[in-house]
Amino acid sequence: MTGILEWGRFVGVKLLRLLSLLAGVSVVAFILMQFSPVDPIEAYIGGDMIRVSAEQRSLIEERWGLNDPPAQRLFNWGQALLQGDLGTSMIYRQPVADIIQERFLNSVALMAVAWILSGLIGFSLGVVAAMKRESLLDRLICWYCYTLASTPVFWMALLLLMLFGVWLGWLPVGLGVPAGMAADQVTWTDRAIHMVLPALTLSLTGVAAIALHTRQKLLDVLDSDYILFARARGERGVQLFRRHGFRHVVLPALTLQFASFSELFGGAVLAEQVFSYPGLGQATVQAGLRGDVPLLLGLVLCSTIFVFTGNLLADILYRFIDPRMKEELLT
Amino acid sequence: MHGISWRKRSSQAGLSLLLLCAVGLAGCTQGASSVQESQALAASHPRDELVLAVGTEPEGGFDPTTGWGQYGSPLFQSTLLKRDAKLHLVNDLATDHSVSEDGLTWTISLRDDVKFSDGEPLTAEDVKFTFETAASSGSVIDLTNMAEVQAPDSTTVVFTLKSPQSTFISILTTLGIVPEHAYGSDYAEHPVGSGPYKLVQWDKGQQAIVEANEQYYGQKSAFRKLTFLYLDEDAAFAAAQAGSVDIAAIPAAFSKQEVSGMTLESVKTVDNRGIMFPMQPAGGTSADGFPAGNDVTSDLAIRQAVNVAIDRNALVEGVLEGHGRPAYSVSDDLPWGNPEAVFADADVQEAQRILTAGGWTDTDGDGVVEKNGMDAEFNLLYFAGDLTRQSIALAAADMAAQAGIKINVEGKSREETKKQAYANAVLFGWGSHDPLETYNLYSSTHKGEGYYNVGLYSNPAVDSWMQQALQATSEGEALPFWQKAEWDGTTGFSYQGDAPWAWLVNIDHLYLVKDGLNIGEQQIHPHGHGWPVTSNLEEWSWDDNSK
Repeated sequence: MTGILEWGRFVGVKLLRLLSLLAGVSVVAFILMQFSPVDPIEAYIGGDMIRVSAEQRSLIEERWGLNDPPAQRLFNWGQALLQGDLGTSMIYRQPVADIIQERFLNSVALMAVAWILSGLIGFSLGVVAAMKRESLLDRLICWYCYTLASTPVFWMALLLLMLFGVWLGWLPVGLGVPAGMAADQVTWTDRAIHMVLPALTLSLTGVAAIALHTRQKLLDVLDSDYILFARARGERGVQLFRRHGFRHVVLPALTLQFASFSELFGGAVLAEQVFSYPGLGQATVQAGLRGDVPLLLGLVLCSTIFVFTGNLLADILYRFIDPRMKEELLT
Repeated sequence: MHGISWRKRSSQAGLSLLLLCAVGLAGCTQGASSVQESQALAASHPRDELVLAVGTEPEGGFDPTTGWGQYGSPLFQSTLLKRDAKLHLVNDLATDHSVSEDGLTWTISLRDDVKFSDGEPLTAEDVKFTFETAASSGSVIDLTNMAEVQAPDSTTVVFTLKSPQSTFISILTTLGIVPEHAYGSDYAEHPVGSGPYKLVQWDKGQQAIVEANEQYYGQKSAFRKLTFLYLDEDAAFAAAQAGSVDIAAIPAAFSKQEVSGMTLESVKTVDNRGIMFPMQPAGGTSADGFPAGNDVTSDLAIRQAVNVAIDRNALVEGVLEGHGRPAYSVSDDLPWGNPEAVFADADVQEAQRILTAGGWTDTDGDGVVEKNGMDAEFNLLYFAGDLTRQSIALAAADMAAQAGIKINVEGKSREETKKQAYANAVLFGWGSHDPLETYNLYSSTHKGEGYYNVGLYSNPAVDSWMQQALQATSEGEALPFWQKAEWDGTTGFSYQGDAPWAWLVNIDHLYLVKDGLNIGEQQIHPHGHGWPVTSNLEEWSWDDNSK
């Protein structure tokens, strides 16, 4: 009984937090867009500027509600949102919800693969490095992680693209599906092959943080008294790690991994752009560069929920993995 | 535990996401490139298929009533009229058109044998529907001058205009006709039309696959299937290197690199760049309240001296790697351009003579001429981040300095430029298949509207010639008036007249074309990045021994 109450309170608090976060983030995003130097009308008209008279300009303004004062526009948007309407994108001329749904399906597959890969590889590397402290392997892993941590995602993407796409020609160097192929002929293998490079890019850069944190945490654990005691009893290597190390390092690793949802999303924006991959990232870039406020706000909401979900999952997992956390969480 | 506070983390995450997005945008504009398919896939496609990377994606879809097809051909739809390789008007859906004496009533006769790709006939009702939909769409199609359109019978369309506008014909050549029976909210994604091709599949953000329209009434293209890849310029170049596209649009910066199996084709354009001069003395304000006017550039001698001192061929060779041609007007080689506007440039002595005659001399020996104690010095703004414009501006400033005119080149954002353009010279680019552009740039009616005529140029004689051009009842009749507005023997907006601009270069559009592929005689392309290269697809073919 108390368990249910507790969970109810937990969910309620989280929900409130999410709602206030969404409201705050969308207001901030809207204000930032107001200060952006991009004139939405001009971005919309683009190259056709010369053929559009002042009269037509005001028609466009009216059509997109751009001549209302900013506060009014934000209010209108919020009101429509409460009725479940995210508005219509200026550049895609489609309901924002449709665009996000379509793009999200593409991105989520990419991000899931990258996330799992970077988690597993990063955790393993961190553990190996710590267990082989000061060895050549440890130094190699550290060097690799520091290099990756200081590498911008898009640069990494370009390198991979040049190597595997252009020079070696092993992998397609862009798009989510083969060029010129009818949709019903595209197989899952095709899609998977097209996802390899962007997913690899994303996971490679995600590896560094988790590996270094896991290594450091495991080193702390290895220096503790109970490890000394365990060693004294003759425990070594895998057995030592499995019995005394794993539980201690998996928690911070999980936290970090779930908290990395925001980096993941940010990285996807860049990787998708480089590989012409039709996900949320590509849409975000377009929306920002062309002053498409409804679309950008929609994407901001979507990504906030995405990041929030990551953190929430971490919280919930904690409660299952480490019962000591229950009290702390509910304060 | 590492030091992330549990409670703050979710809100931090939200904010850091915004920041990340911003960083992402900055990163992407710095030329993150992408390429496309691996060689194996595309090298083997059949002879009647092409893979093209020639333009950016029309995100809004393929609906002509909201802007699709404004540059190049609408491909899936056909237009009432079109322009041939020499930009002369020819009939497409129309069999004939006539304009009333007062220029207000336009009557178009239609072919009666045209079917949409779904087999339904195209009638005058569809044309009426198309124009009415476009007029109310609040898009880039400007039909504010159209009072009404009627369809008295199935092959006749009658347009009524609010005021005479001979350039209305340009809308008839660019607005693709959509079917009333098959038009709905998802039309942009599933277009039905009477054009040479029909859309088979659109993978958003990636590619469009099109196939020949069996119902098409005109000359059939040799290619049954086309795949348009949406790649930016450097990505398109990489795709060409990988051998996986048949034609790719590339920027001049890549033109020196050889790509095996492909030939570089330069297409002439009116994609021009030129210096706009503020025409009023300093001290005024624009309609929006920005400072307007400039005491130096408002002096005719300065404007003419800059014009004549600049070595346009050197700009073409030096900045554009030879892929361009000198520009002497906004409409070089277009039917409404005046060939007499061309003059002998790169003549520093002539520039100095003009300055001296205008009262400008270098009395203090600093290399800059003065008049009434004022140095011949002004700012030239360009859109920061555009390397071509920057190079052109810097080179032009060097050339003007030899004649004793000091030009300070400054890169500004578009927003900043908009505020300062009324009081400073600006490097702009224009170039359209519509003489309405000429009107917008030089007419006193459009003084200070958006980017039109920001120099606040006004000449009653020019206004009058252009008014007559608009009121003409055919384009042929209008052409001499447009030309006279430029230079009528005594005045005009050319160098010989008021010289409100110093036009510098027309920038060639470059395409890497697979060896053996013949892309026919191309029109002079307009400014911008549409698909003008595909407007003559029916002429494209493989040379016999190739492939």
